[in-house]
Amino acid sequence: MRPTFDPFVLPFVIGTTFVLMYCFIGMIRIIWQLPKKDRRKFGLSLITPKTLWKNIKDLFGDCLFHVKIWKRKPLIGYMHSAIAFGWFMIIIVGHFETVAFSPLRGVEMPFMQKLMSNLYLPIFFRYFAIEGLTLKAQIFSFLMDFFLLMIISGIVIAVVKKKRPRKVGMKRVTKFGIKEDLVRIALWTIFPLRFLAESSVAGFAGGSFLTKFLGFDLLFGGNYNETLSMVLWWLYSIDLAIFMFVLPFTRYMHIPAEALLILLRNAGLKTTAPRKGYALAEIYSCPSCGLCIDVCPMSEYKNDYKKTAVYFMRNIRRKNKREVRKMTEICLMCGKCVEVCPLGIESLNIKMAQRANISYRMKSDFGYLERLRDYETTSQQVIVSKSKSKSESESKSESKIVYFAGCMSHLTPKITRSMVKIFEEAKENYEFLDKNGSICCGRPMMLTGKVNEAKSLIEKNTELIKSSGAKRLVLSCPICYKVFKEEYHLEGIEILHHTQYINELIENDKIHVDRSDKRYVYHDPCELGRAFKVYDEPRNIIDNIGLLTRGKSDKDMSVCCGGSIGSITMTIEERDEITTNSIKDLMHNNPEEIVTACPLCQKTFARKSPIAVKDIAEIVVENLEDE
Amino acid sequence: MKEHIVLIIGAGPAGLETAYQLKNLGLTPVVIERNDKIGGHLAQWDRLFPSSEEAEQLLERLKGQTKDIEIRLNSRITNIEREGDSFHVTLSNNRTYDADAIVLCTGFDLFKAEKKQEYGYGIYNNVITNAELERYFKTHHDERINEPKRIGFVHCVGSRDVKVNNTYCSKVCCATALKQACEIKDEFPDADVYCFYMDLRMFGKGYEDLYLKAQKDFDIKCVRGRVCEVSENIEGKLVIKAEDTLLGTPMKMTLDLLVLMCGMEKADGVDKIQKMLSINSNSDGFIENKDTFTGMNLTRERGVFVAGACTSPKTLPDTLAEARAAAMEVYRYLNS
Repeated sequence: MRPTFDPFVLPFVIGTTFVLMYCFIGMIRIIWQLPKKDRRKFGLSLITPKTLWKNIKDLFGDCLFHVKIWKRKPLIGYMHSAIAFGWFMIIIVGHFETVAFSPLRGVEMPFMQKLMSNLYLPIFFRYFAIEGLTLKAQIFSFLMDFFLLMIISGIVIAVVKKKRPRKVGMKRVTKFGIKEDLVRIALWTIFPLRFLAESSVAGFAGGSFLTKFLGFDLLFGGNYNETLSMVLWWLYSIDLAIFMFVLPFTRYMHIPAEALLILLRNAGLKTTAPRKGYALAEIYSCPSCGLCIDVCPMSEYKNDYKKTAVYFMRNIRRKNKREVRKMTEICLMCGKCVEVCPLGIESLNIKMAQRANISYRMKSDFGYLERLRDYETTSQQVIVSKSKSKSESESKSESKIVYFAGCMSHLTPKITRSMVKIFEEAKENYEFLDKNGSICCGRPMMLTGKVNEAKSLIEKNTELIKSSGAKRLVLSCPICYKVFKEEYHLEGIEILHHTQYINELIENDKIHVDRSDKRYVYHDPCELGRAFKVYDEPRNIIDNIGLLTRGKSDKDMSVCCGGSIGSITMTIEERDEITTNSIKDLMHNNPEEIVTACPLCQKTFARKSPIAVKDIAEIVVENLEDE
Repeated sequence: MKEHIVLIIGAGPAGLETAYQLKNLGLTPVVIERNDKIGGHLAQWDRLFPSSEEAEQLLERLKGQTKDIEIRLNSRITNIEREGDSFHVTLSNNRTYDADAIVLCTGFDLFKAEKKQEYGYGIYNNVITNAELERYFKTHHDERINEPKRIGFVHCVGSRDVKVNNTYCSKVCCATALKQACEIKDEFPDADVYCFYMDLRMFGKGYEDLYLKAQKDFDIKCVRGRVCEVSENIEGKLVIKAEDTLLGTPMKMTLDLLVLMCGMEKADGVDKIQKMLSINSNSDGFIENKDTFTGMNLTRERGVFVAGACTSPKTLPDTLAEARAAAMEVYRYLNS
């Protein structure tokens, strides 16, 4: 008969109790911080069958199998899922094993010990139980050994990743301090220690290919040494305790936090405050994996990757206000880090919330919006497409399309000219809303956190667009497109970017283009591509005009042009470096012209590009079929 | 004394003046020019600031001084090989020279206005460049200039502008703009003429007088602020948006003609020659000279000299003075 209790389990039991309580309190805190509306939404989601199913699917897919990492980097994906899924299975199978062969069945013991035994028995099962040689026991010990091997193989990759990142497909990895190193070493040694401890008793407690044959028979030469065995069990327990105690203060907090984040996300919640509620769940969920480092366009400037999302999340967690502000302001908001984040952490939303808290000394006077209304009624001033003859204003109500070029397109008149030509070629009934000057769409204000200021612009534009009576709104600038899609309430009006609109015209035979064998490469603007997945329409258009070549990275991995208005503080030198890198990427297959669909990308590239940079509307007009 | 051949690259004012001075010093200059005529930008210009002297007169003087000197037109340099202190130079027509020294007088190119799409050059009919206006003054023929009632000049196009990678001042545009403003006002006395400037840099002799004269005698209106956007209205007139930074107000104005004061950029093709001679560029793209004070005509390569606007934007008087100085440097180098 084996003992039912041994003091070596205490470190583990105390550590685990601590971590469970910490996580419970943390969870309550996060839920408490949610706005009331969100809390109700969250509660409801937990009892809705559809979200419930999604929750289970995501918990397994993301927390255990890391499906998203598999897709991008299979080896790293294997590493994460081997450790997470293997560990999970060891705990689960361990519990079943305990139920099947509990050595404590029928044993009388104090209540506290009974409670504790639920925690320690599955973990230190081999020390307390003797399984015997039944088939059932064999299967259990085989499974336990199998998952242990799986974890150890994951840890081997982790060691390689740490020492030689390039071997596992990463250029750069996150750098850590002493606390993080300690917890990592604790984690890495947990399973080798478990292997040794279990092997030491495998002679009589049972085991399979790993612990029995490799461990007990080969490593320990088939001898049982009680002192050595006890030392190993103690080390194993202490190691677990160290890991549990340090876990809440390190990146491994992502293990419990991620589960909560998945539930909150599936409930449809979004960031509302920079360091509270949903954002806090995201902050604790960041595992510092560093996948965002290599994709961040800023990492290329002097190889300084300390401004990337992973460092941002770390600094905001540590409440390092100065760094947080710096990183919040410099970010281009291109969204690549969010795209690759295996946890789907929307760090951009946190940055936006952060920006709303920064007070810039800025005097904004939107009085002119009011005056604009007066001018309209008295028709004195030409600001908003006013100089119209009577017949024109009569046809106004029948207009089906309203075109809003936006301020960036006004700085690239080739685009607006091309669009006018396309509307006319397609014989569309259109109104050029901001021909004589536009009111800003509000996106720059949103990007600097000035939500209320943006609202006043949004209201005015909404009013103008609605009064045009159009059913469709065509935009040339993805920056506008984003804010129109997200912040405007234009019920009954379809919002299109001109790539979508032109593609539709070509498909419906409303305009005809000639095809040549000129080689084009298409640059996906961040706010059209990653933000709204408008990838196919521009590519279809180019397919109709010439040969579409590919850059080194495209679609969701397209590199920001460097001109983004997302950044408030980036210097021109840093931007230039990003532009040059992005062009290098586009030149990968020797195109003759770079095509994009954003006036700002076009302008930015034109400064540095060795070949012509054009908007997609321009190349459409250049290749219109002669009639 | 041994015959010293000095190869001068570029037959603009700097090249011609250097050649003339070298000849006077008893050396044998040979001038290489890629175009089919001499004079560079000077040959395209009508009159010169500040005194409105005719460009033709200066050009004739330079031509007269150099009529006995060998000038190779339509010639490009295809190869330069250095052997000790001598340069073996091959031209595009396979002619070769063994030169004892080389003077780079490659000048500048005007900034390509298309690069500033917001000004609409090449898009709107009535947007022209300073060089095109100068051609109009010479020929009195340009369909775009048709009794304009309101004319705008935009200073600093492609100068002092990080967005086109040119952070330097081109030095000549302020005075040129005011000169041209006065001239066009002379031509169309009923027109309103506006100059949109960042700073007016009237640093040279007679420039400030030109500025005062432009305002007093010609009623040129100078507005401190940049034009940010140009568009066209239904009648085909230009609508510009600008800011008057002295009054602190945005402004919007309809114009019949907009003249872009394109600044100077490094001349196209000089990179190749620099590569052959292993000479670097400054951060602004122009050729790097040895130092700003006493070595402005020298480069880091022995026997290679520079003069004129190839090292930085320069006015004509500065260019001519530099050409004379370069000739002295060459003479001292070859006789030491």
